[in-house]
Amino acid sequence: MKSHIRMAAGGILAGLALAVGAQQPSALDVVPDKMPNDIPYGTPISLERAQAAIAAAVGESKKRDWKLNVAVVDSGGRLVAFARMDGAQLGSIAISEHKARAAAMYRRETKAFEAGVQAGNHYLLTLDDVIASRGGIPILDGGRLVGAIGCSGATGSQDEVICRAGADAVKR
Amino acid sequence: MKTRPMLTLDDCRRISTAAEAEAKKNNWNVCIAILDDGGHLLHLVRMDGASPANARIAVEKGRTAAESRRSSLVWEDRIKAGRNSMLGMPGITPVQGGLPIIVEGICVGGVGVSGVQSHEDEQIAAAGIKVLG
Repeated sequence: MKSHIRMAAGGILAGLALAVGAQQPSALDVVPDKMPNDIPYGTPISLERAQAAIAAAVGESKKRDWKLNVAVVDSGGRLVAFARMDGAQLGSIAISEHKARAAAMYRRETKAFEAGVQAGNHYLLTLDDVIASRGGIPILDGGRLVGAIGCSGATGSQDEVICRAGADAVKR
Repeated sequence: MKTRPMLTLDDCRRISTAAEAEAKKNNWNVCIAILDDGGHLLHLVRMDGASPANARIAVEKGRTAAESRRSSLVWEDRIKAGRNSMLGMPGITPVQGGLPIIVEGICVGGVGVSGVQSHEDEQIAAAGIKVLG
């Protein structure tokens, strides 16, 4: 009886080893020559430009009768300007800032995290201060990252449309 | 049912613009934060040259004023008078520069300013609130 159990346990272990050995190479194991999102950080965004981005975002949002929170952070991910539209959801105040911060800190749109998680790369959620939801976009100036804008309050897709309107208004 | 006045984004812009003008007039670079009566951020501007810390501090001064419905200086003064236990008050930043926004006798929010000397921060906040009449 005892030896049977031991044999069964040994069988399970052998099976596990086989499964690991037979695994296909993971896409995460590929080593590209160049690193992605190699964008240098630039001078922190000016208040004037941050406010222009917010005005454009709020204007587009008003046109569609959407009520959003819009945050702009500098190249260090710290808040430079913020506006909450009348009737915007309170929970999204922090989310808009978080999206902007994550876009600046990781030099990419927060949509990249969302897409990664949707594709099954759940490890992304273990990276510090990530937010896996679209609506956070870096602001560049001559190829350098000077800040980022984040929008929240509606669906991710709606947030992104407004965010893009803000980012496009000030891109150089 | 009771009704009460409420700040709009347009009100916030007017307050913020007036406060910024007061700061500019004196060549001061500060951060100006406006919060509603629940202590939730409505509007923020950090002028060029103001530090990231100023942004955080301005929000917390504004929150103190909005939620406690009194100037953050009141808290500072109490502690200065020896009431050290007030340092442990949850969510309170007892430093001058945060003012409540009182409309028709009701606190509808707060303005917090950080960047220069505390009494100057308060001067900027007061100049902002003044536009509401």
